[in-house]
Amino acid sequence: MTLDALRAEIDRLDDAIVRLLDRRARCASEVGRLKREIGMRIYEPGREAVVIAHVKAVNAGLDGPLTAEAIERLYERVMDEARRIQRVEIERHTGGASAPETES
Amino acid sequence: MVVVMKERVSTEQVECVIAHLVELGMDVHRSTGAARVVLGVVGSGKVDPRLIELMEGVHEVLRITEPYKLASRTFKPEDTVFQMGDVRVGGDEVIVIAGPCSAENEAQVNTTTAAVKRAGAKMLRGGAFKPRSSPYSFQGLGEEGLRLLHAAANTHDLRLVTEVMDISQIEVIDRYADVFQVGARNMQNFTLLRELGRTRKPVLLKRGISATVEEWLLSAEYVLAGGNTQVVLCERGIRTFETATRNTLDISAIPIVKQLSHLPVFVDPSHGTGRRDKVAPMARAAVAAGADGLLIEVHCDPDHAMSDGAQSLYPAQFDRLMAELRIIAPAIGRSICLEPIARRGWAR
Repeated sequence: MTLDALRAEIDRLDDAIVRLLDRRARCASEVGRLKREIGMRIYEPGREAVVIAHVKAVNAGLDGPLTAEAIERLYERVMDEARRIQRVEIERHTGGASAPETES
Repeated sequence: MVVVMKERVSTEQVECVIAHLVELGMDVHRSTGAARVVLGVVGSGKVDPRLIELMEGVHEVLRITEPYKLASRTFKPEDTVFQMGDVRVGGDEVIVIAGPCSAENEAQVNTTTAAVKRAGAKMLRGGAFKPRSSPYSFQGLGEEGLRLLHAAANTHDLRLVTEVMDISQIEVIDRYADVFQVGARNMQNFTLLRELGRTRKPVLLKRGISATVEEWLLSAEYVLAGGNTQVVLCERGIRTFETATRNTLDISAIPIVKQLSHLPVFVDPSHGTGRRDKVAPMARAAVAAGADGLLIEVHCDPDHAMSDGAQSLYPAQFDRLMAELRIIAPAIGRSICLEPIARRGWAR
């Protein structure tokens, strides 16, 4: 494939990835709502470990260039954002209006 | 804030730190490296880095933002410049404050003031209340000293800078002086700083003998928090293991503080070295490094001075130094007071 064709393919894949991430984030937000209703904590290390193990297993079956460590690092970012979505979701309903972000 | 975990940390220890930070309302970005786990912490929650550092498995906690706000350049990107009569502090011109360590008598104050004015100083320094290391040393003339300094400054059209050691002196000094100087020993006298924050007169805040740049800027924050925006920082040397000089003048503090803060930075090479022969080289270095002004001790008769004679310049030495500074300042795009005699020459 030519460079242009490869780049066009990457653009198509990113389009699909972002749409999938959007669906994943909507699920995470819904999970946040349920956690609020039953009084669960946002951070569940056990569940995060299950997610990491799952994506590593999927990745291992593909036998591609992404190592298990690489997929773990990528999913750490995805879960960082999911936790943030759930915090915002929970704060919106507990009156704790999310203050403007500052680096601490 | 960045939390760096120890090598070979257990998963439970990492989870415990994340759980604690999430509970405090922070967003955590976890990065698992080959040897270490690093947590990026972002949010508006109140987190005490020292408490996090004490948690199991934590190697170190690095703060990203400064603990001071009003003094920081992030808060106010442009330089703080203020006018005092015809003197513009913090602008292009390097302002030189000179005069005796202490006011001793009328003749000494007048002779010295005339000499520093002739050489190009814009402000007069002089102590009336002296913080001496020993209670048996000369403690200053008190209000009589202020009267002498005020009269001399008026005669020669100079602004007066004098040290305030205690809240009780603010009122009387306010009547005579144009700038309150806070000495190194009082840099963390927070009740005094708070009170000076309520005044609307410039405060020249010396760096404490063993104060870090951050502690120094936090002290400035006390004055700024009271609504007094006219703060000048003054580096005067810090205590190190070196005994060849009285203090080690931290020239590197000038560019560092000017990057972190918008406040003008002055340098006192007299206390910084404690030795007359080292004052001029350090004054030249300070101007070259970007200082907005200098605070220099000059005495008409240093050999008979009642305090700090060893670090006071003879008027002729001060003259020579000013001539040298007039060559250095333009090299970095600054100006310094022209020789008054030369100015008179042009007027004719």
